[in-house]
Amino acid sequence: MPPGLALGRHRVVGGAARDGRVEMSQEVDFDVIVVGGGVAGAVCAYRLAEAGHEVVLIERGAEPGSKNLSGGVFYCRVMEQVFPGFVDEAPVERRVTRNVLSFLNASSHVNIDYWDARLAEPVNAVTVLRARLDAWLASRCEAAGVMVMPGVRVDELIVEGEQCVGVRAGDDELRAHVVVEADGVNSFLAQNAGIRAKEPPKHLAVGVKSVIGLPRTVIEDRFHVIGSDGVAYAFVGDCTQAVAGGGFLYTNLESVSVGVVLRLDDLATKGLTASDVHDHFLAHPAVAPLIDGGELLEYGCHLTIEDGPTMVAHDLTRPGLVLIGDAAGFTLNTGLTIRGMDLAAGSAIAAADAIGAALAAGDYSQQAMDAYPAALAATFVGADMKTYARAPAFLEVPRMYRDYGLLLADVFHGIYDLDLTPRRHLLGTATRAFKGSGLKLRHVVRDGWAAVRAL
Amino acid sequence: MKVVIVYTWARDGANAAVRADGTVDWRGAKMTAGEDDPAALAVAKRLAEDTGGTVVGLTIGDGDASWVLARGVGEAFSVTDVPPYADNAATARVIAAAVERIGAVDVVVMGDSKQDPGVAPAVAGHLGWTALAGLDSASAVDGRVAAVRRSATEQQTISAAPPLVLGVAAEADVDTKPGMKELLAARKRPLTTWPMGDLVDPGDDVRSTGTRKPDVVAATLFDGDPATSAAQLVAALRADGVL
Repeated sequence: MPPGLALGRHRVVGGAARDGRVEMSQEVDFDVIVVGGGVAGAVCAYRLAEAGHEVVLIERGAEPGSKNLSGGVFYCRVMEQVFPGFVDEAPVERRVTRNVLSFLNASSHVNIDYWDARLAEPVNAVTVLRARLDAWLASRCEAAGVMVMPGVRVDELIVEGEQCVGVRAGDDELRAHVVVEADGVNSFLAQNAGIRAKEPPKHLAVGVKSVIGLPRTVIEDRFHVIGSDGVAYAFVGDCTQAVAGGGFLYTNLESVSVGVVLRLDDLATKGLTASDVHDHFLAHPAVAPLIDGGELLEYGCHLTIEDGPTMVAHDLTRPGLVLIGDAAGFTLNTGLTIRGMDLAAGSAIAAADAIGAALAAGDYSQQAMDAYPAALAATFVGADMKTYARAPAFLEVPRMYRDYGLLLADVFHGIYDLDLTPRRHLLGTATRAFKGSGLKLRHVVRDGWAAVRAL
Repeated sequence: MKVVIVYTWARDGANAAVRADGTVDWRGAKMTAGEDDPAALAVAKRLAEDTGGTVVGLTIGDGDASWVLARGVGEAFSVTDVPPYADNAATARVIAAAVERIGAVDVVVMGDSKQDPGVAPAVAGHLGWTALAGLDSASAVDGRVAAVRRSATEQQTISAAPPLVLGVAAEADVDTKPGMKELLAARKRPLTTWPMGDLVDPGDDVRSTGTRKPDVVAATLFDGDPATSAAQLVAALRADGVL
């Protein structure tokens, strides 16, 4: 029997009730219940089990990974702290050594194409398909003694007084000293527990993604990558038909993931549908040749966090309860990088350490749980959420999604379109393009300053 | 009666995608409990209850071996490294060898899968037992099995003496998801695993020499008022030389 399955050995310390009688001690089934089998939940459960604690990892899907929409770019250095040799052992797709930022217009685009061998030594980012990665993480958890319990939807937290003491699913209850909510962006548990309010549409975005199967050799030729190297594109502009958000494309081993992320409020304002915007992007002349001849393997949509820094401003803990990963709001969109999985892992590590200390002390109070956000503030997760706190506001600038891409293309058109008229110096060409753009200098200065401060 | 319920022994056809060239892409799909497995389990439990006997589980491959343990079965066996064979006889050879290893078995019950219809009869063939397939339900009467099979026009009850292999076809999705306590209890129940090499050499799997999608047959729909549509149909049949 795995070590995580010796049940009912621990007891909650009996507390004195107001009338002086000693409350009945309550058996617990596990030291810790982790709800949600994604990166955050699995990393937290694994760390705690490795430290000798009894942990159950409850996952709503038929198996970990099955509820996830395909995958993403994982800035994975943090995983080395938990799984040494992660990049070589985990089922990752490609190692991202090339990043392309593309300003996309209807009939032109200007790309910043950055390749650097240093990004592979050590590996900084990998593309992953979550069905594979999450299944691997779950298997590592099981090997460490975690009881992985798939196919169970937790309905609510069990709260006695102010203390979270377990979870309820259907007629069943499980009790633990600490419950970890790692149940994703929609965390109904956190909403029901009154920790998070229903997020306004402005804080959320809808992602629509296709996974297009292509032969490995075609991907290598088409994207100029060799071996297990890969590329990640970030698009801004016509990819979203001027809706706030962006497009993305990244290479897996034998497929390409491509799609758009659209801020919900702006999508509604513009009166567009997410699937139409997605189709428009995939048919764009800059994108269509990259996926030409491919086979659609997967298509779906998912809610995602647009304003992580605002979301994480609410509480991350209650007595006996901590929130990690997307459930807590740990996602960052800087316009250049979209990060979630690394922040999920970072928050999970900090939470596991704090919970480990709480278990050692037998103290599951608010104060004990608050060791988690305190520790988190000292890590890259806390620091980056603070650094990029202004990024969401900067990304609200509507000129980002149309005017600047057109201006850039006009500047380059002025340089490369040798139409037999006398040439101007670069500055003159740029000035002319700017005057023709309809942009106001004060807006550009303000946006530039905002960019410097936000990014 | 000692009853073996065979479960989670095939991949779910819903996880397969047919490519444009007609090849089937399983995309790493694991063995899963089929839609007939819950009905087969209900039959196995009934037979054990009727006779004061026991039910043990048997599964093969990479599926969830605890599926049956979380549904009230006290013990299970798993042949862990069995690949998903295209050849039903190869799958059956492994299951039959495992049944023999379990020993003293009276009845084997398994889902009568539409996708792999040959497995249940082939298990009986390997064991040299009687097979009853397409069953709706079964009970035990005086040491014999009374198996019920329904067709569109009649209900047939067959009485047969063990040892038997029963193929049960579900009329509806009757699975009840186990709760957390049942899942916890399942992990404490004994699960014995065997590598396939200890039991049997299943031989070579069958190989596909090529696949293609079926030819598209053109269909014409005559839509409108019945008299005109009928006239158009007759005219078309005459034009095609059918009439």
